[in-house]
Amino acid sequence: MAPTPRDRLAASVRYLGPKLVQFAFVIWATYTVTFLLIHFLPGDPVLAALSLKGGDATTTDPAELAALRAQYGLDGSLWQQYVGHFVSALRGDLGVSIATGQPVADMVARALPNTAAVAVLALVLGVVTAVVITFLAFVSPWRWLRQTLLQIPPLGAATPAFLSGLVLVSVFSFGLGWFPSSGSRSPLGVVLPAITLALPVGAIFFQVFSAAVLDARKGPYVFTAVAKSLGTGTIFLRHVLRNSLLPSVTILGLLIGYLAGGTAVVETVFSRDGIGRITVDAVLARDTNVIQGVVLVVALVYSVVNLLVDLSYGLIDPRTRLALVGRRAGSARVAAARDTAVVES
Amino acid sequence: MSRSTAPSSRWVAAPVAALATVGLLTACSTPLASAEDTVIFAIKEDPTCLDPQQTSMTTALNIGRQVVDSLTDQDAETGEIVPWLAESFETNDDLTAFTFTLRDDVTFSDDTPLTATVVKANFDALAALGPAASLASQYLAGYDSTVVTDDATLTVNFSTPNAQFLQGTSTMTLGLVAEASAAATAEERCQSVIGSGPFVYDSYVPNDSVVIVKRAGYDWASTLREHSGEALVSTIEFPIITENGVRTGGLDSGEFDIIQDLPYADEARFDTDDFNLYAKANTGVPNSLIPNTSRPIVSDEAVRQAMLLGTDREEIKTLTGATNSEPPTSALTSSTTGFVSQADAMEYDPDAAMALLEDAGWIEGADGIREKDGVKLSVSVTAFYAQDVLETVQMQLAKIGIDLQLNMVTAGDFFGVIASGDYDFLGAALTRTDPDALRVLFSQAASSHWAIVDDAELEGVLAEQAITADAEARAALVEQGQALIIDKAYLIPTLETTQLHASVANVHGVAFDSASRIVLYDVRIAE
Repeated sequence: MAPTPRDRLAASVRYLGPKLVQFAFVIWATYTVTFLLIHFLPGDPVLAALSLKGGDATTTDPAELAALRAQYGLDGSLWQQYVGHFVSALRGDLGVSIATGQPVADMVARALPNTAAVAVLALVLGVVTAVVITFLAFVSPWRWLRQTLLQIPPLGAATPAFLSGLVLVSVFSFGLGWFPSSGSRSPLGVVLPAITLALPVGAIFFQVFSAAVLDARKGPYVFTAVAKSLGTGTIFLRHVLRNSLLPSVTILGLLIGYLAGGTAVVETVFSRDGIGRITVDAVLARDTNVIQGVVLVVALVYSVVNLLVDLSYGLIDPRTRLALVGRRAGSARVAAARDTAVVES
Repeated sequence: MSRSTAPSSRWVAAPVAALATVGLLTACSTPLASAEDTVIFAIKEDPTCLDPQQTSMTTALNIGRQVVDSLTDQDAETGEIVPWLAESFETNDDLTAFTFTLRDDVTFSDDTPLTATVVKANFDALAALGPAASLASQYLAGYDSTVVTDDATLTVNFSTPNAQFLQGTSTMTLGLVAEASAAATAEERCQSVIGSGPFVYDSYVPNDSVVIVKRAGYDWASTLREHSGEALVSTIEFPIITENGVRTGGLDSGEFDIIQDLPYADEARFDTDDFNLYAKANTGVPNSLIPNTSRPIVSDEAVRQAMLLGTDREEIKTLTGATNSEPPTSALTSSTTGFVSQADAMEYDPDAAMALLEDAGWIEGADGIREKDGVKLSVSVTAFYAQDVLETVQMQLAKIGIDLQLNMVTAGDFFGVIASGDYDFLGAALTRTDPDALRVLFSQAASSHWAIVDDAELEGVLAEQAITADAEARAALVEQGQALIIDKAYLIPTLETTQLHASVANVHGVAFDSASRIVLYDVRIAE
């Protein structure tokens, strides 16, 4: 019996409802934990901000410091501060940076496109390279070549971005002069940082993707396809690729989360403005409002991506869809698939 | 053909020769020009705040100097205060009133003229900014009012004598901004200010770059500069490059023309004909250990004396690679006005240092660290920079049996420690152009509260120099102060910090002002 539209709606709500609650919970919990962590950090944000500008003339007059604390909403009990900041954040007001005096929302809006440009390019480069190497390993007639190809990508994860970044700058900027060494003033400036980030990102993706592909290669449907004398390329694209998508999409979601906040080293080496850089600066300057704002935005990106990943399971794997409509136990299997992917990463 | 033109050539020759002479003369009268329009100057950190009145950060001031002019200028060699935006100035006998007469041709980049009212607005706004402009607050200590006599004349009045104010007017901290900037909030001013300088702010993208462009019609440079009129290049870009290796690599490859803060370790690599190096010692109090004598061990003069004699400043210089600097020989750096060497009283002598400790009852313990009545001779130093210098001192003091613990913190925590008074020694320098730096650091009445020293004589000398108008009498007091501080070992100087910058060889005209900040007004690129 075919499911009625009513059944479908109920199934969607059953599937989506808990996910949305989880989504809100993750963001609230991240916000709260960050708030507590910042406030248990030693050090005075107001003095840190003043010393940034004041240098060796920084005032330590208690009355002046107290006035500034009140101005930035850092007075009152922990609970009062938490409620005050949380209510403002809900209204979309992330406050003002104590160190620079700029609205936090402006700072994030300024930095996010720079980080996004590097992250997207890094992801594309990393994923494409991983797929190409996996394909080559898949079609390789010799075991030794396959094993060699499979051993290359872990190098990318093993080399620290700090080192690979400086090597790339030395060769391609200072040596060959193809790309600018720093900044986002030239559109080409995005290339070297993206390659630097693509190395670890591609390597992690490769680990999961190639394992899934080689696993799928042993599947009976591949045996059947070979018996039908389908071309290797067709087998890879039509049968193997689709079956290895589930863990791959999961790891992709995790990688996007990592890229949203984990670009600090690359942004420092290449002197680019971005989310990672302002986070590091903010932590060093105890700039609580900026840390809160950035963590909130990164948590949002991370949660949205993972929600999309969860939703995409239904599109990728028809079994998931059927399981949803049929019985609720289906989601358990999806979770199991995700766990496998995470372990393998 | 050549023959037929020959007769007329004599007639042509005279005017051509005359023209050529005029041409040559013209070339001579404009000796300064730049082959390129844009200079790329890589800076080492985000300036954070572009308003030179508020910030004390060297990086920000290196940019701010090009945009904001001051009432006076100070000759970096002689220390003499010379006219700039003020064509003349007068000080009353007890240093409570300073009268300035302004040039009448100066305008800000928003086309408003510089008048006495604008100067008053500047000082009044600075006084109101308070802790946001902490260095200015120190220069304006005791500020009472600015009285405008006419458009070009004003008098700044103080309730107490202020010996450092006149020198202060030569710094960017008391530089002048347009009335619109003076009226803006501290945060707005950090993003951009309107000055009367040879350049104006074009753009500032935090963590990325600052760009300044030439001000058309600029014609009021200080006489200390090489040329007059407009700046020689039309644009200066300041990309923010935090990685030392990328700054030096970019200078090497030609991507940057000038870089800020060449690491000392890279100095030898760039000390060739292909590059110019620019070095100048910071003024004020050198990098030092600054004592809190309310702590039991630190209050023991013998311990401080032993630390002073047991510190090998020559070796610190060598080990930290600061080959351009001089070992400090007083409580002021050699580039500061009023500096008098106390080298004899602080010469490296570990044997004398150990003898002092023995006499005071500090006997070497089993682990090499001295002790007295069961108390170990262990002190700590709290600092937020120059860890390599402190590590060298730590090693040297260990040789005479003193255990120095390093407590490296962030800048904010450093001032937190000052606020709570919870330290044995602070490890820092105090950068000021005026010898009044001694009072800021040592006077218990000063608002900064760095050194904690209970010495009525020193307090009296420092207070007296701050209200002495006569230059010679003041210099004598400053000398007395330095002698007292070294004699009682109230300061253990370690290193004179040097500003070290580098450029490619065809860049000319990079100069330092009296505060060791960079002036780019004369900068140009040769063919």
